[in-house]
Amino acid sequence: MIRNRNRVCGVEEIKAKRRQHERALRKARKEKQLVSKRLPRGLQGDGEDVEIRETSVTQEEIFQLYQRIQRGSDDRLAALCSLRRVLHLKEAQQIFVRFENSIRVLNGLFTSNLASVQLQAAQCLLKLSHSDDPSVSLVCLPATPYLLTYLSGQSAKFTELCLYILGNLAAENEAVRSQLLVQGVIQALSVCLQVSHLMELWWRLRLICCHKCCRRRKQERRSSFLEASLTPRLIRLLDLDSEFGMQTTVECAWCLHYIVSSGVSSECMISQGLISQAVKLLIALGRTVDSGTTDGVELLIYPVARCLGNLIASDEQLWCKRQFHDSDLLQALSVFLRGFLQSRPFVTRECLWLLNNLSAGDRQFCSAILCHNLVPVFLQLIPFSGGINTLVLMLLGNVAELGLEYCEKLQQQTGLFPALCSTLSTADPEAARMTLEVLNLIFSYCQQACARFANQNGILALEMVQYHSNDEVRVRANFLMDRYFADQDV
Amino acid sequence: MRSDEAAGRPAEQAHWAAAGALGCCRWWEETGVSPSRPDPVRPGLVVLEPAVACAEGGGDGAARESELGPSPFTFRSRRIFLQKEDEFFEDGDVHRHLYLQNSITSVGEVERPKVSEFCCQIAGCSQLFDALENYEHHYNTFHRNVCSSCKRSFPSSHLLDIHILEWHDSFFQILAAKQNMYLCLVESCTEKFKAFSDRKKHMIKVHGYPSDFRFDKPKKPKCNQKNQSSHDIEMETSSCQKEANDTSCRTSTESMDYAPAETMEADSPSMSEEKSSIPKVQQRPSFSYKVPTTICFGHGSVRGFKNARKKK
Repeated sequence: MIRNRNRVCGVEEIKAKRRQHERALRKARKEKQLVSKRLPRGLQGDGEDVEIRETSVTQEEIFQLYQRIQRGSDDRLAALCSLRRVLHLKEAQQIFVRFENSIRVLNGLFTSNLASVQLQAAQCLLKLSHSDDPSVSLVCLPATPYLLTYLSGQSAKFTELCLYILGNLAAENEAVRSQLLVQGVIQALSVCLQVSHLMELWWRLRLICCHKCCRRRKQERRSSFLEASLTPRLIRLLDLDSEFGMQTTVECAWCLHYIVSSGVSSECMISQGLISQAVKLLIALGRTVDSGTTDGVELLIYPVARCLGNLIASDEQLWCKRQFHDSDLLQALSVFLRGFLQSRPFVTRECLWLLNNLSAGDRQFCSAILCHNLVPVFLQLIPFSGGINTLVLMLLGNVAELGLEYCEKLQQQTGLFPALCSTLSTADPEAARMTLEVLNLIFSYCQQACARFANQNGILALEMVQYHSNDEVRVRANFLMDRYFADQDV
Repeated sequence: MRSDEAAGRPAEQAHWAAAGALGCCRWWEETGVSPSRPDPVRPGLVVLEPAVACAEGGGDGAARESELGPSPFTFRSRRIFLQKEDEFFEDGDVHRHLYLQNSITSVGEVERPKVSEFCCQIAGCSQLFDALENYEHHYNTFHRNVCSSCKRSFPSSHLLDIHILEWHDSFFQILAAKQNMYLCLVESCTEKFKAFSDRKKHMIKVHGYPSDFRFDKPKKPKCNQKNQSSHDIEMETSSCQKEANDTSCRTSTESMDYAPAETMEADSPSMSEEKSSIPKVQQRPSFSYKVPTTICFGHGSVRGFKNARKKK
């Protein structure tokens, strides 16, 4: 379908469609409805039969097919094939599900002992489940116990279909997910995991995790199963060199992100090696980006960064006992900061958040920041709004908070005070306020900094904010001025 | 720094240390957060005890701090835990779903990061700038040298000083009667003059200034606030140019010290307080009452100052 669109529309139209799509997604996210249904790659285009791509169908035709299916015998398979081919059409879907007993029949065929019939029925169910219309997709619900059972089957292709159907159903709503949980989906998936590694599996898992973890806090003992069997597996697969490809790793990362951000006891995760695995992965990705490949790499970077960020924030004691060298991780993160600023600034922003969590109150990490000359990299990011400048200022604050030696080194950086002066004057009051906080920390520890600041035209910038419309900014600016520059002639 | 101050006031040392510690405790109470307890507002958010407690409190001695009041600074380094639905993650989530739904084409769509803007913070002036240099220029030109009495702004402190001297100094008129008090506006020129008009002549003759130099207005005896605020208006250099171009008569030596006051007053009610592009005040110096009435200049003959027409 993408191909058809490309043929007809120009580049501008594609961009416009994309923007529209993006707006719809943002809206969906705000309503907490952001889920995607999927079809297996092979079925997204024209499916197996290239030549027949129906564009419309009548009720009569579908009814005929339905009758042929019901009657059984040899004709049934052909009828099923034809049905499958038309079921991508909305009208066809709606017509079919409204026939009496049609779903029961379909489910019956789905559980038939004839493999070919089963496969075709499964494909029909898949098309139905993929529909955006709940009245169509939810008709597949009665099939779920079977779907789950078949997950541990032997046929890879069939299992794949089942997974996609389950995934699409899980994307529907909370009630469906609850039902699946009750029916033992996690266990079934777990078994599947050990047997085969399919990308859609992860995706499916992600949806489940997403849901399950929300409810985790209410259910005390459910966690044990997940932690005991599933998470170690997921963690092990968080590997760039995994034989199952990057897609799988991406899905893995998302699952882990959901699990971590649900507030599950992180001790278990850390002891299972999640931190070291995540760090190793980021370092490897850093090397990849550094060597020039950026296409699509960010898809893996930010879920891992989120995972790590939240993990550190939830349990800092275990973080302190880490075993790796900060410098490698810092190197990778600085590569990301620079590499994605102009193309995917949200990656830069999320990495800055991770850096904040890594450096907050951590002398070792802040020393590494100074030693490896990362402050100029941060300063280059300061002109950018959208959360980037406030995070950079927080990082500088984290370093400055640690005391005299840190402030001394910080204020020696050329470009620091000019950069701070520019953020002081931005329209964003939060950035201005944070700048004043950072300046306060630096001045309070390091006497020379005041003189240096004054020499670099800092006083002018400070004066300009003494009349700031925002109270908090004004109060702080006046305080700084009175305390450190009272003797300066205005 | 701290030790120096403390050493200088040994009697206060103990007091300072105590005050510092006390200040620290007070902080925790104020913010309502104690170390190692999860934040009630954001479960999962753990606020770290900062590596150095109360950097501000222990900064300078307590004596100074009490003068300035308690420090308003509240920054603490902290690790931030974000829920998966947090707004912060929105862009990333949308990106992922665009990819899943195949909307990310190879058209090379990139997002550019937003660059922060600068906004003039002075009350009443809300201009936006996209670069710091522009903002600094604006600020220096319009908000630096401002007369606190009449709110006019001047491009340099020299002009401001002269303005204050001539307009707001009550002694000035007294002294001016006895000696040459009118300073030349050019900073490097040390000439002084007896009267405003003498100085003006000097400026035109010796320094080549235009007769309608906008920063050389005589003080108006009956001027009211409205007219004076004309200088507050964002001045474009182009309007200055326009005046220069409009002036057909360069020979006017007197700038009608007092007479224009009448026209000004007649016009002033209709003049808007700010943002009128070419205020009528600016027009007056263009015309001299020495020009014979039979001579007609363009733009509809304006004969002298009585009918100062709106040039726009």
